Amino acid sequence: MATDTPAPTGIGVLRRDFRTDPFFDGAAADRLVIRRCADCDLWLAPDATCCPGCGSEEPGWADAAGDATLVTWTVVHGRPAEDGTVPPPAVLALVELTEGPWLHTRLVGVERAALREGLPLTAVFEHPGEGESYLLFRPA
Amino acid sequence: MNAAIAGLGMTELGKVYGRSPRRLAADAVRLAAADAGLALTELDGLLVSHGLGGSPGIELADTLGLRDLRLLTQMNSFGATAGAMVSYAAASVLSGAATTVACVFSDAPLKPEQSAGSAYHRDAREWYGFGGMTAALGLRSVNAFYALAAQRHMARYGTTSEQLGAIAVSTRQWAARNPLAQMREPITLADHQASRWVAEPLHLLDCCLVSNGAIAVIVTSADRAADLARPPVHVWGWGQGHPGHRKERGSEFGLTTGAAVSGPVAMKMAGITPADVDVCQLYDCYTYTVLVSLEDYGFCAKGEGGAFAESGALAPGGALPTNTGGGQLSGYYMWGMTPLSEAVIQARGDGGERQAPANDVILVSGNGGILDHHSTLIVSPHRKGA
Ligand SMILES: [Zn+2]
Repeated sequence: MATDTPAPTGIGVLRRDFRTDPFFDGAAADRLVIRRCADCDLWLAPDATCCPGCGSEEPGWADAAGDATLVTWTVVHGRPAEDGTVPPPAVLALVELTEGPWLHTRLVGVERAALREGLPLTAVFEHPGEGESYLLFRPA
Repeated sequence: MNAAIAGLGMTELGKVYGRSPRRLAADAVRLAAADAGLALTELDGLLVSHGLGGSPGIELADTLGLRDLRLLTQMNSFGATAGAMVSYAAASVLSGAATTVACVFSDAPLKPEQSAGSAYHRDAREWYGFGGMTAALGLRSVNAFYALAAQRHMARYGTTSEQLGAIAVSTRQWAARNPLAQMREPITLADHQASRWVAEPLHLLDCCLVSNGAIAVIVTSADRAADLARPPVHVWGWGQGHPGHRKERGSEFGLTTGAAVSGPVAMKMAGITPADVDVCQLYDCYTYTVLVSLEDYGFCAKGEGGAFAESGALAPGGALPTNTGGGQLSGYYMWGMTPLSEAVIQARGDGGERQAPANDVILVSGNGGILDHHSTLIVSPHRKGA
């Protein structure tokens, strides 16, 4: 799932915390790893803090397909830097994974005119020189 | 018998520096008690809520020197808290748990020489964990989350930026008539469209102000209120709605709010329907919040909030005067206390140039989180059932 789009700007450096190791390990290997409670047969967002089915505070992890559809989006215009340069607009989105959970994410390689509910998307990973990989989505 | 709001206290609002949130809250409670013609020693209940600063809490009772309280707690359902406080106070008065309860909100996010937006904006070079990742990707302020909600409504129902703009314009028309409002220069739809993007589809003029200050109200019984200094504002009904939209397939995020639950609960308690409402004071952190709340309360059908706003109904002279003080978009940003304070002013007939022609039934809403929490109050100058 390597990407052919230019690296997005202005994301900064991502650092893991004690809850993110399986997710960022997966992202480093171009895999989308999210939460899955095997007991309840429920897929959950990677940042889920418990399983709503059984209350487990440590639902397991599993590989998601990386396919999604667009739920909604916003184009955010950054604040001018001190030198007056304005960062390019970023397309931020809520996407629905085929497994069901929604993720807040950033879209790359998408034309404004193509944005619509249900637009098929696929996960892409950027590997910056410093910090953890970025999970982004582009049109499938 | 119903409970009533007997006092309203408002500090200076806006770029008010040099006073801590605790001091501002104490000042508002003193002003509210004085407004009602009560001594502080006559308060036997205090409900406290705060903004992002995390202060004050229940130590406010000590700051005010209140003793032998029967009711004291901090409450938080974000922008829905003011309505929740009044309903808890009213229930306490009706049950006999307390007789005279002050409810206060205070916040001071603005600092001198800092832009209003930065008070609610995150920025960093390094970001930690999942929360940090979301922010790092660009979702760094509440604006972006509300933009996602508004865009979903637009895509689903054809709501337009111009329809959101109609709310910005009508709200400013009201603010122009309110000496307490921070933004009183008239604006046009063209001004709204030309204002810079904050997060598409939201322009700057779709977004609320940021204010420092505090507002308090005093809740007591209707009988007691009748003997106090100001005309009672009777509390006919209240409700809450917390939809718990999960971020997963099938979610109604952005399309419906807790008003769809809190509205019918409050209106049933009050014995009214939407057709009985003369004035609305709707929580307006964004123009979009007003639009979707109007639908969920049943003032128009789902998906028709844009057309309803565009019809002029909300403006001075319209069929449903809404946010008659200029709301949080143009008036002052005191979370749920903004709509509540204007409701008290309208119910008393103190609106001056902006007084609505009829004020018999006033609906007040609160909204917290990203459309996660909602509260409703129905208030009136008349006793319930009278
Ligand atoms: Zn489970």
